Amino acid sequence: MLGLITGGSGSGKSEYAEQMVLKLQKTPRLYIATMVPFDEECHERIRRHRAMRKEKGFDTLECYRGLKSAEVSGYGTVLLECMSNLTANELYQEGGAGERCVEEILEGVRKIRAQCEHLLIVTNEVFSDGIEYDRETRRYQRYLAEINRRIAARADLVVEVVYSIPLIHKNSICPTGVPEGFYGTE
Amino acid sequence: MILVTGGCFQGKTDYACETFGIPMEEAADGASCPLEELYQTRLLYHFHEYIRRLLEENLPFSVEKLKAENPEIILVTNELGYGVVPMDRFDREYRERTGRICCQIAKEAEKVHRVICGIGTVIKDG
Repeated sequence: MLGLITGGSGSGKSEYAEQMVLKLQKTPRLYIATMVPFDEECHERIRRHRAMRKEKGFDTLECYRGLKSAEVSGYGTVLLECMSNLTANELYQEGGAGERCVEEILEGVRKIRAQCEHLLIVTNEVFSDGIEYDRETRRYQRYLAEINRRIAARADLVVEVVYSIPLIHKNSICPTGVPEGFYGTE
Repeated sequence: MILVTGGCFQGKTDYACETFGIPMEEAADGASCPLEELYQTRLLYHFHEYIRRLLEENLPFSVEKLKAENPEIILVTNELGYGVVPMDRFDREYRERTGRICCQIAKEAEKVHRVICGIGTVIKDG
């Protein structure tokens, strides 16, 4: 199963994704972390996310760029968080994919998808604040949106989380309805 | 009238053209088309840019007029309201006006679609 989970910052999408990983019950579990800890705020965020994953039985793989080289074979469920960080890293970091970030990242997604039973990807909604950003930021929005759209087109499940409430936009796993207790957060 | 909304780069116009069977070349670009196009075209995208142009030229917008002259129109607009209030006065007015106008359109529209990650959901039907 390929799942895409989106939402605004602080929407509860990470927690929702982690709950879903647990419900999928395919172990072992791998968490692919993409945030480069460059200041205390990042460390704090990482600490918070680590505490949330504690005792949920995740291995952690740090992957700031070059997703297509990530070795994940043998894992039942992989949770990648977050596509917005990974895209920024590929676009702006030295040695990143730059202009080719969309194709490189999608290639990485395909490769990981082929190695595990379930892949859940957390991404971010940064498209509705109405601000006309500078060219560079617009380019980042355009690339991230394209990645999101292309993953969504292939995904079995696309969920937008609003204040911890899941809105199911696509569900080809269970087209006749949402099985009770499976998608909602606990 | 039909309204299609969502964030930028979400694939709204492609979704609208496909859903309503309108070739892209027949759609009007609200950012650059003659202002009168609104009353003739079947589909107008970048409707928020169209509203910006009206504001820049101090022209009014009437949902009643649009409803009377082009009741079958499909409008594709960006959702602009999910951020911090802009510092610039014109930007504030533009964002607010776009929201208010889209509320009026949504009220009159028989259907409202919202697109995210290229996937549309009907959020108002009838």
